[in-house]
Amino acid sequence: MNAKVIEMTGVRKAFRFFTLEDVSLALEPGQIMGLVGPNGAGKSTTIRLLMGLLAPDAGSIRLLGHAMPEDQAVAKRDVGFVSDDMRLLQHASLAWHMDFIASIYPGWDAAYAATLLKRFGLHAGQVARSLSTGEQAKALLLLALARRPRLLVLDEPTSGLDPVARQELLTEFMDVLRDDSRSILFSSHNTLDVERISDRITFIDRGRVVAASDKEVFLERWRTLRLRVTGAAPAWQLPEIVHRDVDGSFVTLTVDGFSEEFLARLGAPVQEVHRMNLEDIFVATVMHSRQAQEARPS
Amino acid sequence: MNPITRKLVAKELHLYRWLLVGGTAAGLAGLLSATTGEVGFNIGFIVWLTAVIALGVMLALFGVASERKERSQLFILSLPLSHRDYVRAKLLGLLTCFVLAWAVLSAGALALIAVMPGIPDGLLPYGVLLCIFLLMNFSVVLCGALHIASEAAMGGLIILTNMSVSLFMMGVGRIPGLGEHMQAPAPVWNTPFWLLVAALLAATALALALPLFIAARRRDIL
Repeated sequence: MNAKVIEMTGVRKAFRFFTLEDVSLALEPGQIMGLVGPNGAGKSTTIRLLMGLLAPDAGSIRLLGHAMPEDQAVAKRDVGFVSDDMRLLQHASLAWHMDFIASIYPGWDAAYAATLLKRFGLHAGQVARSLSTGEQAKALLLLALARRPRLLVLDEPTSGLDPVARQELLTEFMDVLRDDSRSILFSSHNTLDVERISDRITFIDRGRVVAASDKEVFLERWRTLRLRVTGAAPAWQLPEIVHRDVDGSFVTLTVDGFSEEFLARLGAPVQEVHRMNLEDIFVATVMHSRQAQEARPS
Repeated sequence: MNPITRKLVAKELHLYRWLLVGGTAAGLAGLLSATTGEVGFNIGFIVWLTAVIALGVMLALFGVASERKERSQLFILSLPLSHRDYVRAKLLGLLTCFVLAWAVLSAGALALIAVMPGIPDGLLPYGVLLCIFLLMNFSVVLCGALHIASEAAMGGLIILTNMSVSLFMMGVGRIPGLGEHMQAPAPVWNTPFWLLVAALLAATALALALPLFIAARRRDIL
């Protein structure tokens, strides 16, 4: 059986000043999906809907095949969820938390927990309130990872972590995926982290999914082109061109859907073609989506 | 009770064990002080009453409001449980914590009235009613904590419930059939007493049931 791990279809959730509109996501077993968006884009709302903490106004959500939020008690048995908004119980020790989680999740791997404890530089006897923000994040991730869930849902898991801790964590995520049946959904506005570990990426902005694709497809499709023109820059009407900068006789085009065939249609001598990193692709996608939204008659 | 609810109830007992020990010890110290004479009795009674009320308020505040404020509620909600499981576990867990201390302190207070010379046994029904009222008071505060997110509103509810204790203590003595027997050498367990017990228990049950019908049915728990 190769059922989808996450299946969100046409999900809508309205608040007083923010609406998540028509969000659809799908994640296959063994994939890492990066949910990327600026602050306030709707990443956390999407994840809370997925985890059953909020109920959608419209659309359907299935987590590991279970309808959410109705079947959340069953669905969450195989999910490790960590959010940067989450804290441990302040008056209990990390050892108590580990025993508590071990008593709930039969798949708890005590040896792995001990390894992570050492790797993250944590001490089981530490009381949660004495942990720094970064240590809290690491402790929460330890508790999520050592239960060996089929799905890890991580909402901004690396925020508040130093670069070394971030590196350790990303390595752990990759380790999780050695088992093909496990999957990760993680939200971040740190495109570097997402680019490093994700194989599927969804961009979200102002409550809407603005683009979703495999990472390689994104990286293959987007280019910046540098051209030198004589006279005024041509008014290209090609749908692949999402942005252009004119600086004297130099024109820089940002292109979504680059191909040899596109170059032929462009019909101008291109001096340089550059691949774009995920951050540049993200910014270009969001800006293009916003321009399109603003141009649309209300 | 499902296994996750049981574990969450145990969690509350673990987290608040020292609060329970401290609150119970303070209340018992108050009762001990009450045996030392008239002044000691007045001081001891205030200490006992304060211990029971404060314990209830602190359990509701730490157990629900602080957990929400300190963002550890999200950690609990990430576990395999539904909104209903969460609310039920909170109710059961915090009620168990309170009842453990309340039972010891109530039994101690009633035993003191029964055995101490100089305190008329006619006060026993009054003591029983006050103890049940304190249980109801805790239930109302807990019910409020599970429904109210605003700190100001929660503060208002705590002030109101605290005031209600004084009003109850003053008012119950004026109820026909109760007040006139308070100085009697033997307790009088008459119909007005049982009616008031029934009313207080019904209000307690209502306060404890409301979250299961309202808070547990909220579509959005955060």
